[in-house]
Amino acid sequence: MSAASANPQQDANPSLPGAATGTTSRRSKRFDRWLEARIPPSASITLSQRNIFIFPTRTGFAYSGLLLLLILGAINYQASLVYGMAFLLGSLFLITILYTFRNLSGLTFELVSHRPAFVGENLEFSVRVVRPKQHPREGIQLGWPAGDKQWAELFETSTDVARLYVPAERRGLHNPGRLLVETFFPLGLLRAWTWIDLDARGLTYPKPIFDDYPAQGSGNRTDGSLIDPAGSEDFTDLRVYQPGDPLKHVLWRSYAKSDDLMVKNYASYVEPRLWFDLESLPGGLEERLSRMAGLALKAVREDREFGARIGPRVIAPAKGQQHLDQVLRELGLYGVH
Amino acid sequence: MSTKAPAVGVAYQIPRNSLALLMVAQLVVIIPHTLQLSVWIVAVALFCGLWRTQIYRGRWNYPNSWVRAALVVISIVGVGLGAATGGSMSFSLEAATSLLVLAFALKLLEMKNRRDAYLVIFLSYFVISTQFLFDQSLPVALYEMFATVVVTAALVGLHQLHSQVRPLASIKLATWLIAQAIPLTVVLFLLFPRVGPIWSVPMPGGHQTGIGEHLTPGDVASLSQSDELAFRAVFKSRIPAHRDLYWRGLVYSQFAGGTWSVGTSDITDLDAPARRPEEAKPQSAETMAQAAEGLASIDYQVMLQPTGSDWLYALDVALPRTPTLYRTDDYRLVNNTPVLSVMRYDVRSYPDLLMSPGGLSLRQRYVETALPEADNPRIRELATQLWQQTGEVEAFANAVMAQIREQPFYYTLQPPKLPSDNSIDAFWFDTKRGFCTHYAGALVFLARAANIPARMVGGYQGGEINPITGHLVVRQYDAHAWVELWDEQAGWQRFDPTASVAPQRIEEGLDAALSSTDRASLPTLSALRLADWESLTDALQWLDSLEHRWNLWVVGFDANQQAGVLRELLGKVEPWRIALALLFTGAISLGLAAAIVFWRRRAEPLAPEVKLFQRFGRLGASAGVPRAPHEGPSSYLPRLAQEKGLVVEDMQGCVEDLEQVMYNSSADQNPAERQQALRRIRQQLRRLQVRLALSN
Repeated sequence: MSAASANPQQDANPSLPGAATGTTSRRSKRFDRWLEARIPPSASITLSQRNIFIFPTRTGFAYSGLLLLLILGAINYQASLVYGMAFLLGSLFLITILYTFRNLSGLTFELVSHRPAFVGENLEFSVRVVRPKQHPREGIQLGWPAGDKQWAELFETSTDVARLYVPAERRGLHNPGRLLVETFFPLGLLRAWTWIDLDARGLTYPKPIFDDYPAQGSGNRTDGSLIDPAGSEDFTDLRVYQPGDPLKHVLWRSYAKSDDLMVKNYASYVEPRLWFDLESLPGGLEERLSRMAGLALKAVREDREFGARIGPRVIAPAKGQQHLDQVLRELGLYGVH
Repeated sequence: MSTKAPAVGVAYQIPRNSLALLMVAQLVVIIPHTLQLSVWIVAVALFCGLWRTQIYRGRWNYPNSWVRAALVVISIVGVGLGAATGGSMSFSLEAATSLLVLAFALKLLEMKNRRDAYLVIFLSYFVISTQFLFDQSLPVALYEMFATVVVTAALVGLHQLHSQVRPLASIKLATWLIAQAIPLTVVLFLLFPRVGPIWSVPMPGGHQTGIGEHLTPGDVASLSQSDELAFRAVFKSRIPAHRDLYWRGLVYSQFAGGTWSVGTSDITDLDAPARRPEEAKPQSAETMAQAAEGLASIDYQVMLQPTGSDWLYALDVALPRTPTLYRTDDYRLVNNTPVLSVMRYDVRSYPDLLMSPGGLSLRQRYVETALPEADNPRIRELATQLWQQTGEVEAFANAVMAQIREQPFYYTLQPPKLPSDNSIDAFWFDTKRGFCTHYAGALVFLARAANIPARMVGGYQGGEINPITGHLVVRQYDAHAWVELWDEQAGWQRFDPTASVAPQRIEEGLDAALSSTDRASLPTLSALRLADWESLTDALQWLDSLEHRWNLWVVGFDANQQAGVLRELLGKVEPWRIALALLFTGAISLGLAAAIVFWRRRAEPLAPEVKLFQRFGRLGASAGVPRAPHEGPSSYLPRLAQEKGLVVEDMQGCVEDLEQVMYNSSADQNPAERQQALRRIRQQLRRLQVRLALSN
């Protein structure tokens, strides 16, 4: 799918993406490299002490401040039970480490499916989360840094499929980066998190520009069938009546002459099949791709048969969603991969 | 990265589950403080709580900024006024607590997002802790433990499922968390190094209980109404007999207008020279220790309930063995600060030691014989008369006590009221009914009228032995007053005129000395405690021993006791040993919790058909054709056969069997047929194994 990888326009256009970098804004390059070695990309990842990080939250630090205050109070007032309270809350903090860690530990993440999107829309990724059967989990969030976070509901059922949306910003097949999985359960004092790479690839189509069909070449009229035999516009020929033919079409005059009941055959002229050629559309490459996406959508909406020439690739004329998907896919990947 | 994605909306709201728990927690936390706080503060807190509940139920709106501002102003002015009218303009602990509780209540009204919830929860923990500055008893500790669970449940609720209101689940988890935190808490409590106060802080201005610096006959009688605990004492050896347990607290040397007051006594300064040549030097600790050599001694530890004053109680003649204690020149023990929480101190007493062996100074002699000018003429006359008859201190005292014994004097908790003028005359000659202070006062007056140095001593007499832990319990109704007379040879001698009128009081305790009308006048619990109801006494004693152990091991656990425990556990108290012990025991208790948290029940055994299906997959995989996740038996078999070039028509039945037993619900299956099918599948798989092996 990458005959156009040497397309000179690719480098000329600064808006074209290179390799997808989803999350570098939040993490340093060095950390990324380390993470790459520690949690390599995989279609399915099970969390364990190898790949879970844990650290106190701001609330956790505030809590530690409270503990310090209590200890100071206990020292100054020489109140044993204030000591006791401080120690209890401190121990609670330590116990919470186990709980927060366990909340993520043992979870398995797997990319189930993805739905392509146009630039400006959201890519949808479905991520299946499976927990070990014995321990219900609560308060687990996951999401790509660029998109919204979702809750994984793993309390009653041991499997949940989270639908995650990531803004589709550039045309092409992109890795949305590492998926953040985090939890603050049970007390919000600690955050356990991990960045996993599910090797997800989201296909983004060019943002469609809707316009009229371009003038079709003259040769196109003969290309393929012109006539819809079931139409009702033009009379074509006569044939013998068959039960079920509309009475309107019966040629009563000829019935008077002979015993044969004849019906008139009508046909409609169909619009000729369309051909879209990337090269012949106006504008720069991205604009042309967008226009073509718009044309393809329009044609499918109007249930027209169309073929497409996208660079060296020729897609034979056809109709329907599957055809559209194929064309859009070519448009999305054109010159990118 | 054009837009920074906002987090899911619910993340910033407080789940209803948690909100409900937060409101309950606030109520639970404030309740015990109502004992210390003014009524209006409780009212404001309740009002805020009500408002918040109505918001929760969707009836009312959040208060606007005017209402909130008004509430804040009312609170600050109220606390300020309270502090001003309370006498001290200084920022007392009570005022601080009031402000804390008010801030806590007001915060409820603007609690909207998570940050507010965290703040309220942290404040709750703080308010719980401040309660311990006022009261550290076992019931309070248990209650606050419960409060901690509720507050923690609110915190848990903040991070639980948002879709359901399940406060019970939050409470259950919070209880679990706290239960698992307890072993580590105990370790920290025992091993975390305790240090002395870093700076001085306002102390709770606790109510004063027990005897006071001024004593009017009748005061002690009213103390007798109370069964409140005064102190507990743990004796290292045998507990002395009831009649010898005179717990010296205060010495009353001044008498005016029917009231006895504490004189000015100086703390013994070991090296200070006598202030005047003729003034006898108070006995120094050193000379006292020399004098005590070879004498019988009693070692014990006292756990004094908070009194709000600095004097302590000990048996005569007491030598303090705790560093913060001082001995005054009238042989009392005082602490360097008022006793505001349960205080424990060690004492060694020498019952046979002479008091003031150096004799009385002129000043002391003057103070201890001073009497108001010209009152109580009749008793003065009696004193002169008795002195003429006896001429000797002990004989004089005995003569007085003989009169008490022989004349119709009565010991009662409800003495008739005495006039403030000539009160002793009125008691001795007219009413003849009184409590210990009446008799002690009369004896001191008589002695002073006869020019014998005399003083009244107040404290407790007796106590009850708890058979469970073997400690002595002294309650307010054991309060007592007795007399010390100065004998030039024997020094200060103790005389107790109450023993003459009610010897049972001294031998056995108050109950034995009470008449039935006195007993009827007592509050129920005191009466029950005094009565001889076996099962109830047992229960009360059990509770007392529990409370005693609590005070001994928890409330009274200080640097001293910690050092003792550490010596016992570690051999020597060294920082690295403590650190090591802390690490080791901490790791054990955390490991224990971890074992519980990560313990998993063994996975349920797989059903036989699932095992067979897995075996099928393994067979294919070892032949180089692994089963794809989506393939069932009937689609995997043909692919496997094709890739390995096998003819498997005869296995069709096996695949059908397998799908039958795997996918039909077990309720529809005939057990016998099922077993047969499983057997057939097993056979077929064995054959497949052989064929796959041959095909390679």
